[in-house]
Amino acid sequence: MKQDFTTIPSIIARHPRKASSLIMILQDIQKEFNYLPEEAMRKTAETLEVPMSKVYSVATFYNAFSLVPRGEKLIRVCVGTACHIRGSKVIREQFENELKIKPGETTPDMKYSLEVVGCVGACAMAPVVMINDKYFGSVKTSRIKQLVGKG
Amino acid sequence: MVNITINGKLVQAYEGEMLLAAIRRENIDIPALCHHEAVEPYGACRLCMVEITKNEWDGWKNHVTSCLYPVEEGLIVNTHTPTVIELRKTILDLFLASSPHSTVIKKLAAEYGITRTSYEEVPDSTDCILCGLCTRICDKMGFSAISAVGRGHGKEIAPPLKEPPPDCVGCLSCAYICPTHYIQFTDNGKERTIWGKKFKLLRCEKTGLPTITEEFAAYLIKHREIPEDYFKINDLSHRRELALKMGQITQWGREA
Repeated sequence: MKQDFTTIPSIIARHPRKASSLIMILQDIQKEFNYLPEEAMRKTAETLEVPMSKVYSVATFYNAFSLVPRGEKLIRVCVGTACHIRGSKVIREQFENELKIKPGETTPDMKYSLEVVGCVGACAMAPVVMINDKYFGSVKTSRIKQLVGKG
Repeated sequence: MVNITINGKLVQAYEGEMLLAAIRRENIDIPALCHHEAVEPYGACRLCMVEITKNEWDGWKNHVTSCLYPVEEGLIVNTHTPTVIELRKTILDLFLASSPHSTVIKKLAAEYGITRTSYEEVPDSTDCILCGLCTRICDKMGFSAISAVGRGHGKEIAPPLKEPPPDCVGCLSCAYICPTHYIQFTDNGKERTIWGKKFKLLRCEKTGLPTITEEFAAYLIKHREIPEDYFKINDLSHRRELALKMGQITQWGREA
């Protein structure tokens, strides 16, 4: 994982220097570091002349942002209505057992992060699991061990 | 001026003002927890809900938060219809589930005949109803030291990174405006603590009484064009000085 914070100013500089750029900048930072480092949030607040409290408020509001480093592979288990009906609970539990972490946590080796999400817009293939940008549909508990290796 | 009818009475309201202002001017008691004249209306608590209609609406009615609804010519407002009361009861019932220990909520709910919530009480509840008054007043004061953090069930009011807020000057505006008295602070006359941050209080050079925090004084001197020595004495001493001056002027007047 990249931990070179010297790129932060150049990421911020890609956007117009106004308050409305806040979310775009945070998205780019999230993409670069896989989370929002404190330094990056401070630098953004300072550059855009937006109070730090507002940056923190936005950063904690959206699920797309993480304030703690995430693993290389982000596993998102959909627990939206359709997936819930089709058994996302057991899928989630199986991932928890397999990775020995709870949703919102990251494995100590920084390889995997587990998350539960509302709906990923693929209800027809429920229950759905996303690993990074890839979708996996009609997931069965028996497939999970294999899925953890994939993605 | 705009002509509106409130509970059957024809009244005049100022153009651009919100319904709640006109209703309160008529001495009609409707609850509102997230409203304060010092800040912009917000519509968070939903308690100031009223029924509106117009003659030309063919019997169509709507329920709106009066704090956010600007007055309109010909508007007919009813503040205590059975439906409005039912709505308000439901909201209070929900508040009572999320803040079951708040004396303010309990009292208000009791006024509407609710002594116990019909919902499940929220575990580890707080008295914070997330009305946003504290963050709005903090923004208005120019500090923006606190804000809403998180979303949904986990939403709370907190300083950035949940650390003692660097931008806080300890003015206590948030604590004073909090409708449920949730925001706590300590003040022993020497030191003040709020949001986990400690402040030293200045003292009046004449009376020895505590005035405001060092940080607050520094901010006001810098941003509000207040003379640097203004906070060396407290308001009482300022008034005494002024009274002495006025006395002198009167004396000179008599002598002249």
